[in-house]
Amino acid sequence: MNPLSRWKERRRLDRELADEMAAHIQERNEQLMEEGWSAEDAARCASRQFGNVAVQREKSREAWGWSGVEELMADLRFGCRLLARSPGFTATALLTLALAIGSATAVFTVVDSVLLRPLSFRGSGELVVAWERLPFLAENATGPNPRHTDLWRKRATAFSGMVLLQQGARGVAFGAEHPRISGSVTTEPGLFGILEVSPALGRSFTPEDAVPGRDHVVILTYGLWQSWFHGDPGVIGRRIRVADTDREVIGVMPENFRFPNANALRAFRSKQGASSVPEPGIFLPAYVDLNEIGWSGDYGNWVTLARLRPGVSVREAETQLSSVEAEVARQMRLAGVPMSPQVFLQPMQQAVVGSSERALWFLMAAVSAFLLTACLNLAGAQLGRAISRQREAAVRSALGASKWRLLRSALAENLVLALAGGAAGVLLAQLGLDLFRRYSAVDIPRLAEVHLNPAVLVFSVMVTAGATVLSGLLPALRQVRADPQKALQNGTRVMGSRQSARATAWLVGVEVAGCAALLTITFCFGKSLLNLTTQDKGFQTERVAVAQVDLSHVLHAAPKKRVEADDRILSALRGIPGVETAGLVSAMPLEGESWIEELQRLDRPRQETPLLNLRWVSPGYFETMRQRLVAGRFFEERDRDLHSLVLSEGLARTVWGGENPLGAQVRIEGRSFTVIGIAADARSASLKTSPPAMAYVHYSDRRPFATFFMVRGRQRGAALPADLREAIWRAVPEATVNRVKTLDAQLSDSIAGERLQTAVLVSFGSAALALAMLGIYGVLSCSVAGRRREIGVRIALGATRRSIYAGTLRQAYVPVLGGLAGGLAAGVLVFRFVRSLLYGIEGVGPGILVMVAALFVAAALAAGFVPARRAAAVDPMDALRVE
Amino acid sequence: MISRARFRFDIAFEGIDNLSIDFHMKRNKEDQDLLPGTLEMLILQTLRRGPLHGYAISQYIRETSDEMLQVEEGSLYPALQRLLRQEWVAAEWGVSARNRRVRIYRLTPAGNKRLKREAEGFERLVAGIGRIMRPVES
Repeated sequence: MNPLSRWKERRRLDRELADEMAAHIQERNEQLMEEGWSAEDAARCASRQFGNVAVQREKSREAWGWSGVEELMADLRFGCRLLARSPGFTATALLTLALAIGSATAVFTVVDSVLLRPLSFRGSGELVVAWERLPFLAENATGPNPRHTDLWRKRATAFSGMVLLQQGARGVAFGAEHPRISGSVTTEPGLFGILEVSPALGRSFTPEDAVPGRDHVVILTYGLWQSWFHGDPGVIGRRIRVADTDREVIGVMPENFRFPNANALRAFRSKQGASSVPEPGIFLPAYVDLNEIGWSGDYGNWVTLARLRPGVSVREAETQLSSVEAEVARQMRLAGVPMSPQVFLQPMQQAVVGSSERALWFLMAAVSAFLLTACLNLAGAQLGRAISRQREAAVRSALGASKWRLLRSALAENLVLALAGGAAGVLLAQLGLDLFRRYSAVDIPRLAEVHLNPAVLVFSVMVTAGATVLSGLLPALRQVRADPQKALQNGTRVMGSRQSARATAWLVGVEVAGCAALLTITFCFGKSLLNLTTQDKGFQTERVAVAQVDLSHVLHAAPKKRVEADDRILSALRGIPGVETAGLVSAMPLEGESWIEELQRLDRPRQETPLLNLRWVSPGYFETMRQRLVAGRFFEERDRDLHSLVLSEGLARTVWGGENPLGAQVRIEGRSFTVIGIAADARSASLKTSPPAMAYVHYSDRRPFATFFMVRGRQRGAALPADLREAIWRAVPEATVNRVKTLDAQLSDSIAGERLQTAVLVSFGSAALALAMLGIYGVLSCSVAGRRREIGVRIALGATRRSIYAGTLRQAYVPVLGGLAGGLAAGVLVFRFVRSLLYGIEGVGPGILVMVAALFVAAALAAGFVPARRAAAVDPMDALRVE
Repeated sequence: MISRARFRFDIAFEGIDNLSIDFHMKRNKEDQDLLPGTLEMLILQTLRRGPLHGYAISQYIRETSDEMLQVEEGSLYPALQRLLRQEWVAAEWGVSARNRRVRIYRLTPAGNKRLKREAEGFERLVAGIGRIMRPVES
């Protein structure tokens, strides 16, 4: 018989074995009677000598080799039946496990895809991004000046290729429709060579594509090709309009090719907030005319991407670049800028993942704490159940079940729970990730690459197994250790030993500690978020909508036409019914500092030149933002040709100290301006940094880049964004309206990362708190149930209700207070690791500690109240009569 | 003799004082066995005389060894199952001398071959032990 047919026949085989053994006993019985034994003695002797028929059968079955599988299935069936008998417990346990495993899986999926998985380019370890650090940028760094990059390319031998590229967003259109926005990468032709990818369709860029006049070509990503051209292979050779230039489609990239978006791979490295940007959909050839670029300044948001020669380390390449950089410094000195920039390289993966790394690992730690709490809680509940099922274990052990078998059968129940919980958890994770990807305003680099994969599934399986063992082993051991004789003697009484009470106390203690640590950190994040949102911003976001508009190249080419278009739009906006004020500005509020220039006082040219953010604004901008005027005046129509300048208060103080700057002459970008006003400091670049130095000039000479039109409505709730878009298109039909949103939305998006972190922590924290309460409740009710007789005696002897309450609650004192102390200490320790993610908090203050402690004590009291009342309600007569 | 059944002897060498060899303290079969496969060998040898049912096999071994070897049921049936699985014995249902429906085991040719090998090995082993255990001449 082969194993399979034996398996199919196993019931028949087992029945035959039973028959055979029965026959054996009878034969012996008969023989004994023949030898003159009495019928009764013979029967007893025969069956006694044979021993435990069930055990013998089991042992014989073992010889068939599949008893393990069979026993496991029996254990699982038994586990399912047990779980079905207590649906309340099962539902709670399943829900907890599903949530815990689900969130752990989801977070790990993100960590795995973003941090652990190498970028999908061939030999991605050799790809590096080069940065320059300039003295005045403090800890920030910038993508190098193209001229410096060019020198590196000529002198350094460590690289097999180096390109300059710029990230951006362009309106793309075909036919007569309004342009749609797409992320764009403008790059020197060598990019795809360095990344070692070639288009799936058509051709890659050639050096000729970067020659002015012949550069009207574009390469599409697979995603854009699919969604806009429905995968039509005839797209090669077609012409599309990109920011009002007709370009010929020459290639489509392969499906698995993903280029980091403008947030992930940007030319300026800082801690400041980033907003959601479109994924790169088009690649344009870049022509870099070095003659137009000086040695100093002219950084121009270029990213320098390079591939190391095989075998060259990042450090070696960096050393080589640094020696070339000495020549750069010499050239800069010759150009009159005595500055020596530092160059450094970063593996591309690190550059892309950058700032999100710490936050993600922290999230992983938080979810692990939650998972641990959930498992410990389950362990506590199971321990209680194990104690009440001790008699069952004792009976089974007396009937011949081995310890190993009992252990397995006790673990099986947890395995069932963990398997079901794990499966539900993976589904939840998948669902959560989908929702997250669709709706989150948080820009995590490589988010498009995030998906469940085998590595993640292995992780989930391991977590599930861990959860089984963690939550099941202690109760299972407890059951196995039960001494059958003692357990059976004890009759109907449910008993818990001192040892199991200690184990439970430890479980609750550790659970409380983990939870308290989590809550401490949660409170810190909450306070940080509160600091961010309630601080004085210096401007007001209510009832304001803002639209990013790219005017076409044609308009850009002629400054006069551009200003006309701006004016047309502005007057259209002012004409919208219900609009109070309207204005324009050259940078989106709350998207970080940009366009940094130096300021020079004309009367004291030798003085140090502070840096500032330059903004082109129209009359109405300050009124729309509700920024306060400190001195002088804001822009008016007459400033159009006056070269007027408005300064931020902080900048004015830095440069002029106590003097009055109004009317002073300054030089910015080589042009002179007259200071006409001082605006109050505002955190309009980022909520997370102190207000930056700002200088505002009139929009009439603004540069050909995106403009941000904003309007302030008279009443709340008006459909401003829709009206805004409508009005802009009415005024200038060929304008690309990249995005329209309320300033409120922009504000909340700018701290989306912080909000997400806090929300995640609050949900983990409150779930953990609920679990800890459940744990305390479980332990106390178990102990009350076990001590019914004792409590009855106490009441009979005159104990008051108050003393019974106190006595019951006292059992939770030690684990709760001990765990609380440990947890708060752990929270303070963890705080050091997350400090850089927080704003306006120097340390875990006593306020937070007291709040967490108070919350816990209240929760513990609430959780203990029901069992305590049950204890106080014990009727002594009833309790003593039970046996 | 009956009370001995409470101890978990596979085979008890009776009559030899203080020599009770415990084959079966662990569920893990062979590793505690003094002579692995001894019981199987004895069963095969017993079946050489003709087909027998389980109880008869144990009786035969007991009687033939002058009650020195006692096969416990807890070892007999697992051993029989192992032999069945190896196809060294075959079983079919028949009727016992006492007219009871029992499973009767018989030796297969493969079992016969196996028995020969084991018997040779056993003889060599006994001879070896015998040489060591020869009375020491002082």
